[in-house]
Amino acid sequence: MAGSAGDTVIAPGAPTEPPSAPAPAAGGLAIRVRDLRKHYGELEAVRGIDLDVRSGEIFGLIGPDGAGKTSTFQILAGVMPESSGQVSIFGQTPLEARATVGYLTQTFSLYVDLSVAENVRYIGELRRLSLDEIRERGDRYLEMFDMLQFRDRLAGRLSGGMKQKLALVCALIARPQVLLLDEPTTGVDPVSRREFWDALAELSGTGMTIVVATPYLDEAERCSRLALMHEGRLHDTGTPAEVRQRPRLRRIRVRTGNLEAAEHILEGIDGVRDTQRFGDSLDVMVDDTAGGESIASEALAREGVTFTALKPEAPTLENAFVAVLRSIGGEIVVPAFPFDSTRDPVERGAVAIGAYGMRKSFGSFEAVRDVTVEVRHGEVYGLLGANGAGKTTTIKMLCGLLEPTSGDVELTGERGSLRSGAVRSRIGYMSQKFSLYDDLTIIQNLRFFAGVYGVPRDERERRISWVLEASGLEGREQLMTASLPGGWKQRVAFGASLMHAPSVLFLDEPTSGVDPLARRALWKMINAMADRGVAVLVTTHYLEEAEQCNRLGFMAAGEVVAEGSPTEMKAMMRGRLFEIIVDNARVATLALREALGHDRVSQFGDRVHVQSELPVADATSEIRALLDRARVEVLRIEETTFSLEDVFIDVVHRSRDAAVAEAS
Amino acid sequence: MRAMLDRLVGGRLVPLFIKELTQLGRNRRLVVMLIVPPTLQLLLFGFALNPEVTGLKLAVVDESRTPESRQLVSAFGESGSFLIPAQYPSSEQAGDAIARGDADAALIIPSDYAERRIRGETASIQLLLDATNANTASIAGGYAARIIESLNRNLAAQRPRAARPLSLTTTVTLLYNPGLQNSWFITTGMIGTLLVLVGSLVASGSLVKEKETGTIEQLLMTPASATEIIVAKMLPLLILLTADIVIALSVARAVFAVPVRGSLVLFATAGMLCVFAGIGIGTFVATFTKSQQQAQLMAFFVNPPVALLSGVVTPIEAMPEWIRPFTLINPVRHFATISRGVLLKGVGIDILYPNVLALLAAAVLLVGISAWRFRKQFG
Repeated sequence: MAGSAGDTVIAPGAPTEPPSAPAPAAGGLAIRVRDLRKHYGELEAVRGIDLDVRSGEIFGLIGPDGAGKTSTFQILAGVMPESSGQVSIFGQTPLEARATVGYLTQTFSLYVDLSVAENVRYIGELRRLSLDEIRERGDRYLEMFDMLQFRDRLAGRLSGGMKQKLALVCALIARPQVLLLDEPTTGVDPVSRREFWDALAELSGTGMTIVVATPYLDEAERCSRLALMHEGRLHDTGTPAEVRQRPRLRRIRVRTGNLEAAEHILEGIDGVRDTQRFGDSLDVMVDDTAGGESIASEALAREGVTFTALKPEAPTLENAFVAVLRSIGGEIVVPAFPFDSTRDPVERGAVAIGAYGMRKSFGSFEAVRDVTVEVRHGEVYGLLGANGAGKTTTIKMLCGLLEPTSGDVELTGERGSLRSGAVRSRIGYMSQKFSLYDDLTIIQNLRFFAGVYGVPRDERERRISWVLEASGLEGREQLMTASLPGGWKQRVAFGASLMHAPSVLFLDEPTSGVDPLARRALWKMINAMADRGVAVLVTTHYLEEAEQCNRLGFMAAGEVVAEGSPTEMKAMMRGRLFEIIVDNARVATLALREALGHDRVSQFGDRVHVQSELPVADATSEIRALLDRARVEVLRIEETTFSLEDVFIDVVHRSRDAAVAEAS
Repeated sequence: MRAMLDRLVGGRLVPLFIKELTQLGRNRRLVVMLIVPPTLQLLLFGFALNPEVTGLKLAVVDESRTPESRQLVSAFGESGSFLIPAQYPSSEQAGDAIARGDADAALIIPSDYAERRIRGETASIQLLLDATNANTASIAGGYAARIIESLNRNLAAQRPRAARPLSLTTTVTLLYNPGLQNSWFITTGMIGTLLVLVGSLVASGSLVKEKETGTIEQLLMTPASATEIIVAKMLPLLILLTADIVIALSVARAVFAVPVRGSLVLFATAGMLCVFAGIGIGTFVATFTKSQQQAQLMAFFVNPPVALLSGVVTPIEAMPEWIRPFTLINPVRHFATISRGVLLKGVGIDILYPNVLALLAAAVLLVGISAWRFRKQFG
């Protein structure tokens, strides 16, 4: 199988003896797509894409829900014919190449009442492998993914991340050359996501070609190369570093106590290309760093807004994608709110949601133990936690859907009777993707929510048309809700939860799966609500959303184990984070892990992140020495800032270690 | 009272109600489910469970060969229930004919039949029945008994002084004769079974769907109370299922010519109470289940006993003694009684009131328990 990929032709109809990994030499072309199109009736899901995926790379297809990612994958996997265009996988059509392609769909088809080993065996037998082969390969991959000790556990009892990895083992059992993963980590918490991506890096090290679709930009960072997909087209292709640098914009991060005013001042002045607000900082996009810094500081000083820091930072993938989307005219304008204040007057800074020593047990299982949380009016609070950390139970108790076993809960000034209609008419609630009735039209949904929340009759039409305007659906209100793509639906649902001018908002992953511009529009509205004194509680396990919150609470094992602003959370991390750019990231990762421990090293595409508690000089010399011994050339080492994901994973690991220590 | 009405009409009930109605209206499967199964099942049960038996082949062994014995044979022949394809010389041969399937029954008239009748003594005849199909056999036995009874009456009329007319003892246990009742009996009762069945399925379906998609949480976070939610869920179903009462009665009339001898209002009221009971059962089931599939499986446990222990198909008198009291809490049983009373006998509330009250109690109880469960779960 050596040689360039172009001449690796397997005759059509040849026996489907699985080709042996490793696949053709890295760097050759694995997938070649030219002018690919796909129509469903009138809808054009894929509108002419060109794509080259090299052998052995992790290629990311990044785009929001409804961008055409799944259609592209189904064509590549040979399960759906293209409308027009050419696709070749190692020189074969997708249909011919089916035996060499492993495809993981969004919903994994694991058998939850079979054990891990039985699942692997079943899939292997379907592929007509001998039992010995199945056992040998299965054990090898299970070992690679750190799952060998769970061979006899029922698949239904695995954690989300492990389920994903098992599905991956099942897809690998037939030794594909190409792995197609369609949003493999949707609904998976950050810890499991990192595990999963570590497994992918491992695989790509063996020469496997991996194409992965994801709506999340933090995952995009871990790809070798990526392409941005939007409305059926590809817009920007390259390595993460190339894509980040392409818009030639510089990012300046402003920290100030008055984000609202700062954004208002800097928005639209000369020399500022764009502003974006986060939970405790403001990003200002400018053409060059020095000029931008002086423009911003002067403007803020002129208006009397004090800031604590104003420093240039490297642009992010999100900055790049926003620039691309803007250039193709995807800007969303949020109309002014149809009401100035909440229905019931609120006092900024007063406690809106409070839990004091709140506990919940289900039988002998303690889902939530001793949670104390206060969310104030005018604040956006983010509650984060791995799956099973007790986050859902906590939120249910906070909004009154569930009675705590013990402890006090306070909601909009009420204690005890949280289930009263009066309390609930002051609350807006949006659960992820379930908020609207799919079998009603948009307008019927809006009329229903306006009616049931008792929006005054003479106000109803005005507020409904505001929601339609804010979600860009004017004139299309008679559409069935089911036919709306995710991002639109989320905006309608969000608007619907605001119509009665609530004082408290509960939002569950409000912006997951939407494109960066839609996400910005939504956060603009959320911030506007907070500016009016609304208390906002967001639950999520997407750290892009967490960055938007003023304050965060991390939950692990039923407790809030860390609390603070995004910046404070990152400052809590012990040690420093180093980003190392090397010629062989795979070898470097393995060598560093060997010496420093598994949890401290992760591979991000062509870079490696290493966490160290040593002083900068000692740490860099240690890393250099280790890599030297492994014969890896270090191109650059620099200290970088921890991401919230790093913090999150650290918090979870620490609480797990504490639990182990306690048990022994 | 006034304030409550205001709250109901002016408040959240209206949007909730409109929402439910729109969703129901858009649900094609549901509309089909409301119309097709009731119509089809009524037809099916009306025809298939019609216990009338015709054209039973009767092998006759007439050892008496007298005018009296021929009178007996022709009584059987004229009944319409029996065909007499052939006479057999001996009972053995008649038995063989049954064994071969050439005959379903055999009538053996002993040689002293005429003499005994003339003497006014009890004459006995022998009836052999192919009991492979026990039901048919018992029905045939019942027919035979009826034929002989009517013959006896005729003879008694001719000879009023006769001490003791003819009698047959063999079929006494089969004297209850379902054959007397035809499709009318089945359809009038079946309407109740259908209303409960469809009502429970639709109600559990609509509630479980909200649970499945997760919108129930969204709904519970609105200011609407659990009571308002449940009332808004039940009302549109009540309206739609009332249409089922009309459909069922129309089918029964058009196809089986079921008469309407009593008050339609009473019938409709009973029907609606039955629907309520069904909705109650459905809601109750829904509070225990997480998916539509589970709900349907659970309905499978609930509905057959309700249907079978109602006296609609199997007579309550044929059930074991200990189980009969349980039928008293079965709404379908009371509906069947009311329905038969109103439609077939033309009796009114003055006679049927115990059943109406029982049905009302059952409906209130079922709706009450299910609403309580719902509130307990979500309130």
